[in-house]
Amino acid sequence: MNERTAPHQRWRGLLSSPVLTDLWTLVVPLGAVYLFTALGSAVSASARVDLGYALVNLVIVVALWTFMGNSGVLSFGHVAFVAVGAWSMSLLTIPAVMKANLLSGLFPALQDAKAAPALALLVGALMGGLVALVSALVLMRLHGLEAGIATFALLQVVVQVLTNWDKVGPKSGQSMVGIPQPFDLQTVMHIALIVIILAWLYQRSSSARMLRASRDNVVAAPASGINVFRHRVIAFSLSGAFAGVAGALWAQTNRVVQASQFNLDLTFSTIAMLVIGGMLSLWGAVVGTIVISVLNHVLGLLESGLDVGALTVSLPGGSRLITLGVVVILVLLLRPGGITNGKEAVWPFRRERRYLSPAALGAPPISSPTVERRGVSTIR
Amino acid sequence: MTSLVQSLIDAISAGAVYALAALGIGLVFGIMRLANFAHGEIITAAAYTLIFLWPISWPLALVGSVVVAVSVALAMNYAVFAWLRSASPATLLIASFGVSIVLQRVYDALFGTNVRAAPVGATLNQSLQLGPIRISALAIVTIVLAAILLILVQLFLTRTSIGLQVKAASADPRMARILGIRSGFVIAVTFAISGVLAAAVAFALTTQSGAVDPTFGVQATLFGLVGAVMGGLGKLSGSVVGGFSVGFVLSLLTSWLPPWINDFRTALVYVVVIIVLVFAPNGLLAGRSSKERT
Repeated sequence: MNERTAPHQRWRGLLSSPVLTDLWTLVVPLGAVYLFTALGSAVSASARVDLGYALVNLVIVVALWTFMGNSGVLSFGHVAFVAVGAWSMSLLTIPAVMKANLLSGLFPALQDAKAAPALALLVGALMGGLVALVSALVLMRLHGLEAGIATFALLQVVVQVLTNWDKVGPKSGQSMVGIPQPFDLQTVMHIALIVIILAWLYQRSSSARMLRASRDNVVAAPASGINVFRHRVIAFSLSGAFAGVAGALWAQTNRVVQASQFNLDLTFSTIAMLVIGGMLSLWGAVVGTIVISVLNHVLGLLESGLDVGALTVSLPGGSRLITLGVVVILVLLLRPGGITNGKEAVWPFRRERRYLSPAALGAPPISSPTVERRGVSTIR
Repeated sequence: MTSLVQSLIDAISAGAVYALAALGIGLVFGIMRLANFAHGEIITAAAYTLIFLWPISWPLALVGSVVVAVSVALAMNYAVFAWLRSASPATLLIASFGVSIVLQRVYDALFGTNVRAAPVGATLNQSLQLGPIRISALAIVTIVLAAILLILVQLFLTRTSIGLQVKAASADPRMARILGIRSGFVIAVTFAISGVLAAAVAFALTTQSGAVDPTFGVQATLFGLVGAVMGGLGKLSGSVVGGFSVGFVLSLLTSWLPPWINDFRTALVYVVVIIVLVFAPNGLLAGRSSKERT
């Protein structure tokens, strides 16, 4: 009907193909993490130490996003699954002699259990996922504030049990030491990249799409035949498995594991990273973690004293969490959608929209005040 | 028998403390859907004041702790929560979590991680002999103090103009605003009252322990919050009864359970919390009024 499109338009058409636009939302976060790791490990030895923890935090934040971003339900409980993953990794990789000495109260089966690091990582993922699945079956009927409190209670239960039950861990309040460090920074980065790819693939699944439908309208989605409970359970279990991976990485990064480490501070800092980056997008999870990790590293340098010309600048200890808290409050006040405003990375050559805008048709612009699409405000 | 009476009174006094914490949290929640994690840091601020001022002069310490608690409560309202009034409860919860963490670190930087100690209310740490039963004077004082404060808050809410405005605003904020209630003022008043209640909690707890550290108020707030949620945050009586029950049951568990289970008693309480939330998301005492489940 129309005359053939001009060559430059065909070129544009190729560039704005949906495949590229979609892939871009994966490639950008992956590239950012790769660059972040490459640059970070080139800076200094202390940066490499911080980088190890930053990559672990990244996996936790991606795990949080997998559930919170897609479902819009608050979870304060994911650190519990991180703890479960760390426990799995420690129990399977601490050398047998040390284990017999330090963890004498273990179940005999656990006492003998032993696995290669990669396998232990998978077991961590599996255990995290299993604990998440079981708790999801109980918790996933709750929304909003109740979900926040209930997942928080879950964290307390898991941490209390791990603290006090010496059949699955150290004696009350003690720590597990002697965890080997089998993965170097590169490997940890690759594991983080794999988790990001898996989270991205999940995001594209029909289950995740239905879950996001329920996030955006919790009345209309069930009315359209979506089983919200089921898709929430799937998301929660999957993100629990990711958190288990993070826990296993955490154990081998820190090399000393104690139940009290999986506390409110870790919960808050990971949620803060997600909120700051933008709770509704994978890109936001990555951006938030990178920005805050860089900030933390700089603050850490300042805490230990930094020479600026003639004078030494030094901050009191604890300035990291103070800064993080202040930043997260500012973000909630000024830009509730986070840095990315809840959007994925945008393909730069997007096709302009072809359809006529309502204004062109002479109609008033459509606005829907009931559908709040600004970041955390859709969290129920 | 006598030990039963003693542990019952101890349990009632523990329950009274958590009921006060839950009431402070419940009041603020009622008016702006904010489950205030940072309530604990108001308690901690009051506790530090008590510890530092008590050796100088005890009336000054009591007045000072109330003033400081009210100021901290108002400051967090005006600095943060007043700007988030239209945000969802979940957003508010994250924000209050942030405020709580920031204040903890600030206390840490100001006063150090170690405990600060002073014999606050040392005369109350004696026990009274009533026939065969020995009762700690502090338990009685705590119970009486809590009862008086509960009655005062109730009188304030039902007999004063501002109190009625608070009630109206928490029943239906939009309608209240249409009817000319200044919501900003009413919210500030509510925060101030929660500050007074926090100071009372701080007094009871510092007299018991005589020492304060930066996370001093966290425990009371968590159990108060949990109790309030279990009882029903939507209703003040629900919050109070819920907070009381948590303190009462915890205290009884501590004195009666065999030691090995005792390690897990906090876990048990949280398991109960989860069960209650799943079966009665509005709280046990919220009645049948359906809350929107979104």
